[in-house]
Amino acid sequence: MMKFATMSNHPTTDIIRFILDDKEVSINFTRTTRWTPTTTVLQYLRSLENHKGTKEGCAEGDCGACTVVVAQLENGKLSYTALNSCLIFLPFLHGKQLITVENLGSFDNMHPVQKILAEAGGSQCGFCTPGIVISAFALFKQHGKITRPEVVDALAGNLCRCTGYRLVIESVMHACENRKPDIFSGKEKKVVALLAAIRKDRSTIHLKTTDYSYYLPQSWQEALLLRQQLPEALVINGSTDVALRVTKKKEHLPLIIDISLVEELRLFRQTKKEMLIGAGCNLEEIRIAVREAFPMFSELLDVFGSRQIRHRATLGGNIASASPIGDTLPLLMAAGASVVIHSLKRKREILLSSFVTGYRQTALKPNELIYVIRIPIPSSAEILKFFKISKRKDVDISSVSGAFRLKLSRDKKISQVSLFFGGMAATTRPARQTEQFLKGKTWSRETIEQATVYLQKDFTPISDARAQAGGRVRMAANLLIKCWSETHTGKP
Amino acid sequence: MTKDRNNHHESAAYHVTGTAVYIDDIPVSSDALTGKVFFSQVPHAEIRSFDLREAKKVKGVFAVLSAKDIPGINNMGPVVHDEPVLAEVSVQCIGQAMFLIAADSEASAEEASGKIKVKFREKKAILTLEEAMKQGKPMYPARFIISGDVESALKRADHVIGGEFHTGGQEHWYLETHAALCVPGEGDEMRVYASSQHPSETQTLVAEVLSVPKNVVEVEVKRMGGGFGGKETQGNHIAIWAALLAKTTRQPVKIRLCRDDDQKYTGKRHPFLIRYQAGFSKEGILNALDVDLNSNAGYATDLSRAILERAMFHAENAYFIPNIRIKGTVWKTNQPSNTAFRGFGGPQGIAAIENIIDRIARRLGLCSAEIRRRNFYGARSRNKTPYGQIVKHNHLPLIYDKLLVSSQYLKRKNEIDAFNKKNEFFKKGIALSPVKFGISFTTSFLNQAGALVHLYTDGTILVNHGGTEMGQGLHTKIRRIAAKEFGAAIDKVVVNATNTSRIPNTSATAASSGTDMNGMAVKDAIRQIKAGILPIVADHFNLKFGKPKTRLTDLVFSEDHVIDDRHKERKITLREAANLAYLQRVSLSAVGFYKTPGVFFDWNTGKGHPFYYFAFGMAVTEVLVDTLTGAVKILRADILHDVGDSIEPLIDRGQIEGGYIQGVGWCTTEELRWDEKGNLLTHSPDTYKIPTAADIPDVFNVELLKDHPNPGTIHHSKAVGEPPFMLGISCWLAIKYAISASANHRKEPELNIPATNEAILFALEKLKSK
Repeated sequence: MMKFATMSNHPTTDIIRFILDDKEVSINFTRTTRWTPTTTVLQYLRSLENHKGTKEGCAEGDCGACTVVVAQLENGKLSYTALNSCLIFLPFLHGKQLITVENLGSFDNMHPVQKILAEAGGSQCGFCTPGIVISAFALFKQHGKITRPEVVDALAGNLCRCTGYRLVIESVMHACENRKPDIFSGKEKKVVALLAAIRKDRSTIHLKTTDYSYYLPQSWQEALLLRQQLPEALVINGSTDVALRVTKKKEHLPLIIDISLVEELRLFRQTKKEMLIGAGCNLEEIRIAVREAFPMFSELLDVFGSRQIRHRATLGGNIASASPIGDTLPLLMAAGASVVIHSLKRKREILLSSFVTGYRQTALKPNELIYVIRIPIPSSAEILKFFKISKRKDVDISSVSGAFRLKLSRDKKISQVSLFFGGMAATTRPARQTEQFLKGKTWSRETIEQATVYLQKDFTPISDARAQAGGRVRMAANLLIKCWSETHTGKP
Repeated sequence: MTKDRNNHHESAAYHVTGTAVYIDDIPVSSDALTGKVFFSQVPHAEIRSFDLREAKKVKGVFAVLSAKDIPGINNMGPVVHDEPVLAEVSVQCIGQAMFLIAADSEASAEEASGKIKVKFREKKAILTLEEAMKQGKPMYPARFIISGDVESALKRADHVIGGEFHTGGQEHWYLETHAALCVPGEGDEMRVYASSQHPSETQTLVAEVLSVPKNVVEVEVKRMGGGFGGKETQGNHIAIWAALLAKTTRQPVKIRLCRDDDQKYTGKRHPFLIRYQAGFSKEGILNALDVDLNSNAGYATDLSRAILERAMFHAENAYFIPNIRIKGTVWKTNQPSNTAFRGFGGPQGIAAIENIIDRIARRLGLCSAEIRRRNFYGARSRNKTPYGQIVKHNHLPLIYDKLLVSSQYLKRKNEIDAFNKKNEFFKKGIALSPVKFGISFTTSFLNQAGALVHLYTDGTILVNHGGTEMGQGLHTKIRRIAAKEFGAAIDKVVVNATNTSRIPNTSATAASSGTDMNGMAVKDAIRQIKAGILPIVADHFNLKFGKPKTRLTDLVFSEDHVIDDRHKERKITLREAANLAYLQRVSLSAVGFYKTPGVFFDWNTGKGHPFYYFAFGMAVTEVLVDTLTGAVKILRADILHDVGDSIEPLIDRGQIEGGYIQGVGWCTTEELRWDEKGNLLTHSPDTYKIPTAADIPDVFNVELLKDHPNPGTIHHSKAVGEPPFMLGISCWLAIKYAISASANHRKEPELNIPATNEAILFALEKLKSK
């Protein structure tokens, strides 16, 4: 029998409360066998009679057929975000409004995005359509002017095998260009009040059943305390990676600390020299926030997962999962980012490149949590480039990625260089021998061609589903050449 | 049902509101069970023993079945009986079904599956087409289509090129994975809700496997969440497995494959290896082609022979080649049985000849579009196919002329060449490619269809027909056809779910033939109903208006009325007419039937008339290739496609655009990669990449060829489901052009299908070292 610690010094509650179909829904996991704390929102919706519009296409966040919108309070207003319901556990819904395709409109009274898609030929087999409708709706509720690239970005996480997308894109474009208040606008006040009432109770939520113990702390102190008391617990925030362990690998995750309600982790602070990004900031908000100060990072995030994924995936989660591909790791390592780590008793900060210690391993101790990531803003005197090679441009994990930081002297000599590659080894790693070779050399085509030889000494990559070993070596070399070509001749 | 007048697709309102019902959405009773299939994880082995006892003990498990529990025939091969329902003595691929589990929850079924013990004696497995060919034992003897004298023509030719060309498989990636729900009724009755393109075959096989007559098995297909050929035969499997469990437990059973299982264990487009020698003149006229098509069937026949045959029928695509030998061989491997996929062998055959044309152009230093034009089938001469059918109503030259102008092909090609000279790391490519696609099932007897139409006394119409809806818009077109034939408003017509109790003995909805055949059958039924109504209405008018008399031939069905065309004041609503007929005891229901005239083929001679007609289309695609990353961006695509008189232009455009993009996927990012043990590595959307909204052309011009009605078909239309898929090959050719530009078009790039970013990088590297 698993031993679960109890939180004696904090008030706890054992139910989650959210809004669905304009009503408050509460789930007490001790009183139901239908759902557990790791039931996904998709599984939950599919188990209801009147929410079959949300479809399972892949159950891994790649196809978007299960897309739902979650509305939550941001500065007293509702923000609507599209998410993959297959990757969210039910407790995430606490204090939020869940919106599915059925809530948008009915046969007789369609939402503008539904109406235009139906009339313009935006559906064929129709199975992906509810997900597309929902993604379009989230975009419809977004503030500001909506451009075609924005529409394409919002739909890139919704696979359709029938239409060829053109009519879908044009329909959504049209709906967003003619936005008017919709049925949700009128209900907003009521929803805000309901959600505020739910979130007023700041007690730690502890969902305890015979098989599960799932904690949702609502402050950083409580999170750290839980971490101290339950070092064996799995810590999750966005759960975009962890959810797959439940849905695909059918693992049972009995003990979870979910830090997604910890407001302190949403910190974002920027000075002239650096950015401090809370571990709980999601990649979509970061993508928008860093666009001016650190455009390279923003561009990386443009081709990181889909919008649905980026809305849930957090920077802290991405770093802590320490995957070989690394996604954000090569660039952040090259930029000299560091990780601020807290435990109940201690704070420390280490370089990101030292934080990752092996294949999916980090320097994080069992009582520690990542608090913020400190990213120095690249100086204009330096070159900092990131490139990603993938089979498909959007929503694809890199075969190889590379981030390169260089300082050139006036006579084009390389005075400082760091090269980090993803997909070339078990972890994101620097190319030390290549760096060594480059130091002091002239930044020229010839130097680069010679340097690619050293890459083969630095790395012996593997073959897998994404690329062959030989292909990876070629790709890594090409990225160096690309870096040279862009800094030398500029983009074509 | 009456408010969707403005929607293009008859189900669009259901689609967008999330109320369209697919298999997994059908409400089930509380005793319904979850079915699960235990699949082999070894590619080739003898089954020494197995133990199901522990699995059966799991709480919530109602049945665990092996081959011994099958009451009828343990086979589900659709054409050739070489596919066991459940493996009995051996397994022949990873993913072959071995046992079935029914349980009250997914978790219990999962747990039971984990407790099944099997002892195998593993055997050597053949895991690639090349290995199968090396062993030299084809699944069936090779087939041939021969015309002229290829050997002497090759000797006489100014130039000869030869080589090898590979095309990869393709996962269907219908959004709705395979699923079926079976509900047992009284006695032997079994109601099957299937996601199947071929309900009649599902019915036949379920009856055979359960050992019951067909008349107690009812198969219904409301709609599929995509099919693309993947549910032509393999939808049967899921239905049969669910039916076996339902019969055993006497409770409803639903099986739905999860995405990974669907990708790993069901069939895909056949990979091909094509060897060829082509002889041509200085002007690029193709005089001789010796082409050897080899396909990877997987472990069982499925539709592999018909697919190979269609590849052979399209090995010359749009080109007249007087001396030709087409050889085709199906090879067996220890992989899941490959199956139908949009184009049905056509894409593989066409890609090969388009690559050959491309090579000829490069060899001669001429424009490839011009080489294509020179080799097109002619209008009056040079118009006989290798299998003896004359190409009639040939629109190739016309489409070529129009598209060359509308796409500004020549101007853009010059600009691209200039761009390529200036840029080292970015290269652009442009290519034109045609498709000439034969319409009809090449197995001639399949070209038949049935319909059952009812006119009710309230003036509404219910249409039943044998075709299935998988998103292609068949029901929408049928509805339009029925409305037009009855002169009724579109919202008076409902097209019913496809059901074997209403329309028996149907053919698969495949070969792009759904509208052609079922539309004609519906028309036939409506003709009969109208014939019954006419005398009643004529009598009614004559009684009411007296002389001059209304003749039967004066009556027309128009605008929801029956009208005397000569005396317009004499009109009654369709509803009134229906009522009159009813009171006069005249049937308002009729069965319609259609068979495509004049199609036949004889494989002994390799000659015949396999196609009722040909569909034509052409595309010009322009791409930008980053030669350092292998990334491809489609800058522009221009398509001109022939659909005869379009029944529903928006549906046809949707088919063309969707088909093109699916073809682009096959040619570029969709890669099937296996490990050395035979496991599919690219088994989920995480690693198997179909096009997204961001992958479509920046400029996407799609036009239908106007004013060319197709004689002898329903409302002069043409089939559109498959042909546009092959237009995606123009994208592959454009990529090849861009690669070739990096060596100033002096050397032949080595590129196969798919041209993934990695394959592009390898091709560029080889070109450098050549």
